Amino acid sequence: MKFNSWFVSSFLISFIVLIPVITVFASFFETTSNYYEILKNTFLVEYIFNSLNLLLSVLLLTFIIGTGAAYLVSFYRFPGSEFFKWALILSFAVPPYIYAYSLTAFFENYGTAFTILKNLFGEANYNKNIPKFDGMFGAILSISFSLYVYVYILARASFLYQSQNLIDLGKNLGFSRFKSFFKVILPAARPAIVAGLSLVAMETLAEFGAVDFFSINTLTTGIYNSWIYFDDLAFANRISFFLLLFIFSLFILENLSRRRAKYHFNSKGGFKQKVKIKLFGINAFLAFIFCFIIFFVSFLFPLSQMLYWTIKFPENLFDLEITNLVLNTLYLVLLSSLVLIIFSLISNYGNRVSNNKTLNFLSTLSISGYAIPGVILAIAFITFIAWFDDSIIKSFGFSSIKKIFIGSVFGLVLVYFIRFYSLAFNGIKSGYEKMNISVDESAYLLGYSKRKTFTNIHIPFLRNSLLFIIILISLEIIRELPITLILRPFNFETFATTAYISASEDLLEAAAVPSLFLILIASLFIIVTSKYILRENNE
Amino acid sequence: MSDNFFEIKNVDFKIGNKVKVKNVSFSIEKEGDIICLLGPSGIGKTTILRTIAGLENINKGSITLKGKTLSSENINIEPEKRNISLAFQENSLFPHYTVKKNILLGAERNEIKKDKSINFEELINLLDISHILNKFPHEISAGEAQRASLARSLITKPELLLLDEPLSNVDQSFKEEIQEKLKKILKNSKITTIIVTHDSYEAFYLGSKCGIILNQELKQFDDPYNVYHLPNSVEVVNFLNRGILIPAEVTSPKSLENKDLGTITGNFVKPFPIGSSVKLLIQPEDLHHDDTSNLKFEVIDRKFRGTNFIYTLKTPTNTLIPVFVHSHHIHQHEVDEKFGIKRPIHIDHIVCF
Repeated sequence: MKFNSWFVSSFLISFIVLIPVITVFASFFETTSNYYEILKNTFLVEYIFNSLNLLLSVLLLTFIIGTGAAYLVSFYRFPGSEFFKWALILSFAVPPYIYAYSLTAFFENYGTAFTILKNLFGEANYNKNIPKFDGMFGAILSISFSLYVYVYILARASFLYQSQNLIDLGKNLGFSRFKSFFKVILPAARPAIVAGLSLVAMETLAEFGAVDFFSINTLTTGIYNSWIYFDDLAFANRISFFLLLFIFSLFILENLSRRRAKYHFNSKGGFKQKVKIKLFGINAFLAFIFCFIIFFVSFLFPLSQMLYWTIKFPENLFDLEITNLVLNTLYLVLLSSLVLIIFSLISNYGNRVSNNKTLNFLSTLSISGYAIPGVILAIAFITFIAWFDDSIIKSFGFSSIKKIFIGSVFGLVLVYFIRFYSLAFNGIKSGYEKMNISVDESAYLLGYSKRKTFTNIHIPFLRNSLLFIIILISLEIIRELPITLILRPFNFETFATTAYISASEDLLEAAAVPSLFLILIASLFIIVTSKYILRENNE
Repeated sequence: MSDNFFEIKNVDFKIGNKVKVKNVSFSIEKEGDIICLLGPSGIGKTTILRTIAGLENINKGSITLKGKTLSSENINIEPEKRNISLAFQENSLFPHYTVKKNILLGAERNEIKKDKSINFEELINLLDISHILNKFPHEISAGEAQRASLARSLITKPELLLLDEPLSNVDQSFKEEIQEKLKKILKNSKITTIIVTHDSYEAFYLGSKCGIILNQELKQFDDPYNVYHLPNSVEVVNFLNRGILIPAEVTSPKSLENKDLGTITGNFVKPFPIGSSVKLLIQPEDLHHDDTSNLKFEVIDRKFRGTNFIYTLKTPTNTLIPVFVHSHHIHQHEVDEKFGIKRPIHIDHIVCF
């Protein structure tokens, strides 16, 4: 076993990332307030039922939308197919909570739909004829149209790497196009689709903004409420414990699927480039309509709604301290990216040079942070700091350190670090996987020390991966809501928190401006990274 | 202290806890010598090179270079401090640098030594890689990558160069030419080299000494002529696959008797008591074609090898004997025909086990 400085650094980083998980599990043994009894007898069942209902519905909808769209753009050529290929990932720029605001704004009584009908057909009471997309149904739609992108990207990648030989085999067996899809294409892409659905499942269970907006009681909102209204951190952690058990099983499922998906993506040997089939007539029209509806509903609709309100209520634009919000966002993005990249690089390199099983296990465990809902992370973090402050710091007679960590940018960045560590770690890891270990050994044999190998060989090699990771982290931080909401310093707002606060005060029009900015900035990041996300070779 | 330039003494070579080759000892006497290690795939040849380079540790024996201990139970000098270069069998070029930059990174190490015996231009011309200098490793063939990697190792002008199957990916048609060039470069620049290969012809050509590794042991370490003509064990004979062992009885200090071939005369490499039963090594070159002879065997197979043919003959006791015949010699025997063997049979070095 090589206990060098790289090993120790990697070990410490992994350990820090694991603190919230340890805190949640430790809290299971603490006593809680009476709220536990009340909840046990009344709401807990509802929480679980709602969470499951939401989860299953979102999974079904994202599967249909994501797989259907991926299948069409991967196997066929039709008007707009090249455009939809990347346009369909733009909905990732619209977080579920902003989608929820748009849905409500459009379909509510005297909302945008009402205005359109009034302008077209004159004064009348259209409210009773306009469907209402609120409550559970609204939450399902909001989450599904934002998250189907995970399934779309992974299913598409899997479809792309399916060899033409596989398709030809189906034809040779006399399968119809329909039968080929269900008997050959779909089963071959199953690991990738399962991986996508697992990500959707984790995000759905972690979703806070949209479900809170529609007042749906789920386990995640339960955790938030038990902390914010009942001030019961231990109970919040206790619900988190159950939610985490569930999420970890999904996490394991996702990891297993991904491992199997790797074999599937291997294109070496016998791979034959797929030929896209050109669609004509009604088939081409139907394919176009299917993709267009998804694109319209998931992206154009919320964007237009937010744009419409921004134009309609321009005073909100001037009331908003945009420069401050941009600076705050930029500050968080830069600081978090820097911290995440530096520590993930150290940790990855430590793993690579140490080649230690314990460290590998700890690293695998520590990347579970992404699966933990932001609400749980933030609350577990507060719990840990409170315990650390009371039990350790004060016992040595030092003054409280709570202020350093809670309600500070430092604390916020630290929890972002825990939450998005897996994103940075895995991104760098997959970059490293493309580099044979003999490259390191060649460097040593050319007289390079470990440090020089890291700076002169690895960093230049990983440059593109790092850029991609920074943009992904930025995208996540711009969209992030619960952690920022709970841990941000006083008077420190981002576009996400400003939108949330306005919406929770029933000022949806005021939420439109920050939401619009958020969508536009996020879209920009997505467009910049789209060539990586949608790369068509197997590099 | 030994005067050898490089020495391995009683080393167990292992990967992790798994011992690949046990209790190995051999040495390179002079600077600039080339030795080859020969053995089947997966036997542990690469492990030996990796250990010499410092990429694997040892816990028994010692490895010394110019009298300085590099590895032992208590010492393990880091690879970057050994001035030993290893050219890997697989592509180990830095993927994000061009071939030229890759080679120049090797040259950086040499800059300190100011050794001008290996010149960049000369090297790339000799290895015929000038056309790929501005390409990235993923844009070149495996053979080209191997030559580029070789160039990078050579240009460092190491004290000891380790080459792991250096020409395994090079086209057969080009291989001999590269072998000649490689030998010339190594000799001219006096780079002491250990080459690992599974190709016996490559080893016999390049190495002044050859080591045969079989069944976790260094079975023989000798010059190529002796390894081929005077193998020291049945395993080495079987590995080289250039002869067969037939039963015989020692009839005098200079002769044996075999049921099929009759009397065979020659000089025993190792003496055996008269009357003892032995296994006699018959190599394709030991028997000669003669259709006027009354000793005839049935042709089972005939292989054309360009300059020669190898006939496989079946004796009355069902032993299969290989016989080497030059291409231009008149001997067009088809399968199932009879093939005559010249008598009396005389073998210069009689190898028996």
